[in-house]
Amino acid sequence: MKKSKLGRTPGLDALTYVVLIAAALVALFPVLWGLFTALKSPAEVNSFPPTLLPNEFTLENFSSVLFRSGFPRYLLNSVIVTAICIVVATIVASHAAYAVTNFRIRFRNQIMFLILMTSMIPPVVMLVPLYMLSVKIGLYDTHFLLILIYTAWRIPVLTWILRGFFEKLPKEIIEAGTLDGCSKPMIFYRLILPISKPGIVAAALLSAVYVWNDFLVSSTFTSKDSLRMLSVGLYNYISQYGIQWGNLMAAVMISIVPMVILFILLQRHFVEGMAAGAVKG
Amino acid sequence: MPGSSREVRLTRKSSDVGVATAFLAPAILMIVLVTIIPICMAIRTSFHATNYAEVGAFVGLDNFIAVFTGNGLKNILNSIRYVLLSLVVVIPLGVAIGSLLNRKIRGNTLLRTLIIIPWVLSQTVTALLWRWILNGNYGPIAYLVYGLTGRKVDFFSSAGSANVMLVFANAWNTVPVVIILTIAALQTIPGDVMEAGQMDGATRWQIYTRITLPLIRPTIITAVVMQSMEYFNMVTLIYTLTAGGPFDSTQTLSLAAYQNAFNYWHMDIASAYGVIIFLLNIVFSLVYVKLLNTNRE
Repeated sequence: MKKSKLGRTPGLDALTYVVLIAAALVALFPVLWGLFTALKSPAEVNSFPPTLLPNEFTLENFSSVLFRSGFPRYLLNSVIVTAICIVVATIVASHAAYAVTNFRIRFRNQIMFLILMTSMIPPVVMLVPLYMLSVKIGLYDTHFLLILIYTAWRIPVLTWILRGFFEKLPKEIIEAGTLDGCSKPMIFYRLILPISKPGIVAAALLSAVYVWNDFLVSSTFTSKDSLRMLSVGLYNYISQYGIQWGNLMAAVMISIVPMVILFILLQRHFVEGMAAGAVKG
Repeated sequence: MPGSSREVRLTRKSSDVGVATAFLAPAILMIVLVTIIPICMAIRTSFHATNYAEVGAFVGLDNFIAVFTGNGLKNILNSIRYVLLSLVVVIPLGVAIGSLLNRKIRGNTLLRTLIIIPWVLSQTVTALLWRWILNGNYGPIAYLVYGLTGRKVDFFSSAGSANVMLVFANAWNTVPVVIILTIAALQTIPGDVMEAGQMDGATRWQIYTRITLPLIRPTIITAVVMQSMEYFNMVTLIYTLTAGGPFDSTQTLSLAAYQNAFNYWHMDIASAYGVIIFLLNIVFSLVYVKLLNTNRE
């Protein structure tokens, strides 16, 4: 072990691999266990001692989730709500972020402080009043309400992240635009937005994960089965009498596929967005 | 103050004011409607009795008294325990794994992707996966325990093991956050700092503990504050994993707020819980903002 070449450290490398591979196994084991469960027959799912790999692979659980349950509806609802929410929130927040970075406006620091503070208010504090309000004005049990709440809750943090990206853009761009006779809105649409695409994608992805994964809002503001989103649909398997673990794990696997694929393809953007939201302020 | 030097260079024209207002108004309007107004309503409701979703008579501090003579203190202790235990597991693990992932070894990109994956899974999915793994009848962990002791165990029937499992599931889901922050911070350290350490004959461990860790200390502190807030405010994972049980031993303040409202339909008590949580969050947030500003300098 100690026979190190110049600058090489085989001992440390070995330790690094041991720790990282162990970490990867812990990270993946629950997901793989769920996947294997989803591929087992009901009898094998409920057997003791448990088997790791299915003795006999079956897609029965997946087909019953996809073709004989309310799950496709929940999936569709999640896609619709998530898509509308990230588009609207990103549009609204990018305009606001541009306004606070590039216009001289009154109370700018106060507005920034308000945006930062509201981005930190926990959802659980607002659920009760929003519930009472939505019942009163008749928006309870509508997708419109879900979209409104998710969008509004994502705007502060999105504005904050995008402001960070816009501030880092070279000032020459704006100056060049001004010299060319562009108005401030034109500079925003023609120059700032196109070159900020990576940052905007990063910020939008984070919001997509948030809405896709959320349980609280959709469980609080919808009661009709046809309006439910994924997380609530998944949780309902648990509250039913006699949990069908094979079906539940198949549903879990289907629900995580979009985010896992997006993450693997766009990992750099995810990580960038998260780091921007946290460290750079 | 952030951006004040820029202000001098920007001129204010009347047309600009109109555009700026139009650009900002939708965001501000949404924030006021869906955040500020509800907070004010929650504060008002906390001093009133409620009947389902209707606000009734003014009752002064009765709701707050009900919280503290009821489960309130137990909830606070549960919250503190949950936050501290989670931090003790998540922060060292995240910093260590992040530091190792930052080493230039073959395959580190693949390992990083695999290790971070739990982060994109929801708290609901985390809870469901762990409930299945920890299942007392058919789960692999129960099987291991059975092999060792000859008895089957239900991890969610005793307060001690339910708390441990909850912290474990939470760590599984959130360690990647600290890993990402650690890697991001490590990558801002210029290489010559390390080289200077090597020239001085310091060992790798000395360089790590005396140069690297102090340099990423601000990020670690930020992560501690950020994750404290996250864990303190967490509802979904606890609700879907233990629902506060057994015997309310995992019911934190935030979970109590949710359950009082939407399981027991006591909107008044839930509002009092909400106001307490809100006030504690203001304290946390101010600390966080202060940290952000210090880190920036």
